[in-house]
Amino acid sequence: MITRLRPEIIQSFHRKPFSTPVIGVTGGKGGVGKTTVAVNIAASLADMGMRVALVDADVDAPNAAILLSLPQEQPLDVTITVPLFDDKKCNGCGECIKVCRLNSLFLPKDQTVLLLGECNGCEACFLVCPTEAIYRGQRIVGQTYKTVKTNLAVYTGELQPGLEESALVVNELKKRVFDEADQFDIIVVDTSPGTHCNVINALKGADRVLAVTEPTPLGRHDLDLILSLLDQFEVKRSILVNRADLPGGKGLIEKTAKKHETTVTAELEMDDQLLQSYVAGILVVRMFPQSKPAKILNNLARNIAEVKA
Amino acid sequence: MKEVVVLSGKGGVGKSSLAAAIGIILAEESRVMLADTDVDAPNLHLVLGAVLESTEDITASEKAFIDYDLCSRCMTCIDICRFSAITGDTEPVIIHYACEGCGACAISCPVDAIEIRPVVNGRLNLFSCVGLQVVAGALNIGESSSGRLVDVVKKRARKEAKECKADLLITDGPPGIGCPVIASMKDADYVLLVTEPTPSALHDLQRIIEVAGHFKMPLGIVINRADIHPETNTLIKQFASENGFDLLAEIPYDPCLPRALSEGKLAVMAYPDAPSSLVIKELAFRVLQL
Repeated sequence: MITRLRPEIIQSFHRKPFSTPVIGVTGGKGGVGKTTVAVNIAASLADMGMRVALVDADVDAPNAAILLSLPQEQPLDVTITVPLFDDKKCNGCGECIKVCRLNSLFLPKDQTVLLLGECNGCEACFLVCPTEAIYRGQRIVGQTYKTVKTNLAVYTGELQPGLEESALVVNELKKRVFDEADQFDIIVVDTSPGTHCNVINALKGADRVLAVTEPTPLGRHDLDLILSLLDQFEVKRSILVNRADLPGGKGLIEKTAKKHETTVTAELEMDDQLLQSYVAGILVVRMFPQSKPAKILNNLARNIAEVKA
Repeated sequence: MKEVVVLSGKGGVGKSSLAAAIGIILAEESRVMLADTDVDAPNLHLVLGAVLESTEDITASEKAFIDYDLCSRCMTCIDICRFSAITGDTEPVIIHYACEGCGACAISCPVDAIEIRPVVNGRLNLFSCVGLQVVAGALNIGESSSGRLVDVVKKRARKEAKECKADLLITDGPPGIGCPVIASMKDADYVLLVTEPTPSALHDLQRIIEVAGHFKMPLGIVINRADIHPETNTLIKQFASENGFDLLAEIPYDPCLPRALSEGKLAVMAYPDAPSSLVIKELAFRVLQL
């Protein structure tokens, strides 16, 4: 099942035109604590005096700004090019309809071609029109935001509900951050759950990835998937086990970690203060800096900062 | 046959556990079919402890392929691709996970060296356990077109459900609000939304409701771990009543749930008298009445 990727693909994954280190936070399964870990590490690094960019690339369900109780500012639209048809030039040949693989173009009798249904902005129709009857329209598929609070900048991508173009929003978000990478000492990227192309695009350029999981059969299963993905792209990584005191499955996590030659760098246990801070919208590293989870997360942030230095 | 899809926006709030529990409770009296369309992280069979009966490749994606004997290395395709799915310095290389199979590169290739071909992007797995069958999709690692894979899983689940004369098809959907979620929702009769009393879950609930509203789906809300934060729980209930959404159940946090999960059992079976189990049982019968 595991296909070996061509080296060019792995190179393009790791390519980044700046030296600021990028840390990815992912995990396969949903709800294991990816965002909680990402925001706390980012805040901890910022509180150490580093200039930090935190990127919420879970564009379907972005929550980092909520956990930080920050508003969404500096919105930019993410748009795609959609075809519009000039009825004076369209000769009704139907070439565009033939090449549209989403079957979204229609030619009503004796009329001009119409775009009905979804369009992913591939522009194939533009390439085949013999009469230049197609001109460029724009469709908004989502937004990116940037909110700056002292030395922590939070970048968020948001897909427009009802649309399907998550990948385009992730790519635009990454571009916005990477274009400004020189302003930061470190970039922390939080991904969506899963192992699909949006997770790969979110992690693109990451020097190191933290895979968050929990010791349940589900956590183990999805950790195996995400580590397999990281194997394919030859990404350096380590594991954080959240809710490590759940009964049973820790042995399973260790076995999966070993299979992928990955070490567990930190363990967080279920903790009342962690939960309290989560629902209060104040980070545990700031609300309860002396608590066990805060110490563990601060430690992790310090290790990340040292690797950078 | 009625079709209910379980969604949440946010991941990890208990979609799979709830779909499995409702399925197993109702299977005692009705014919129930389960589908798992969280093709990135299909977990429903794990919650159920179901056994794999059969598996097959699914070809639900199309990708560009370059014939390097014909390719003139003009690199035109790299600039044409709107998905940044072609890379390379000496020759073009298709980045398969980013390729949408749109064919723009093939059209623009001056020597016709590019072809769009169907590719296997996942598997369809059939599982069974006592009284239940699960039709589950699994996306191959790093693959794309999960929405089309979901279409295949749903089609197959409907066919299996029809053959065994099922009364109910319960689909355990993916997190998020994007392509595979919309595909999971298509043609279902009811969307069961699972949430928990945290600010993140409420935010994601509102986003998934926007999507469900967009497709005019009837929906109801279940609050899981309802007692972990009373204030946010009240906010969710207010939000539901202000917008006229049915609140179907409030499931209390119950330590027997993670315990059962780690034992590879379902809490409603292993601990039938636990407070959470009693609420879920009531909910299951409500789902049947919807």
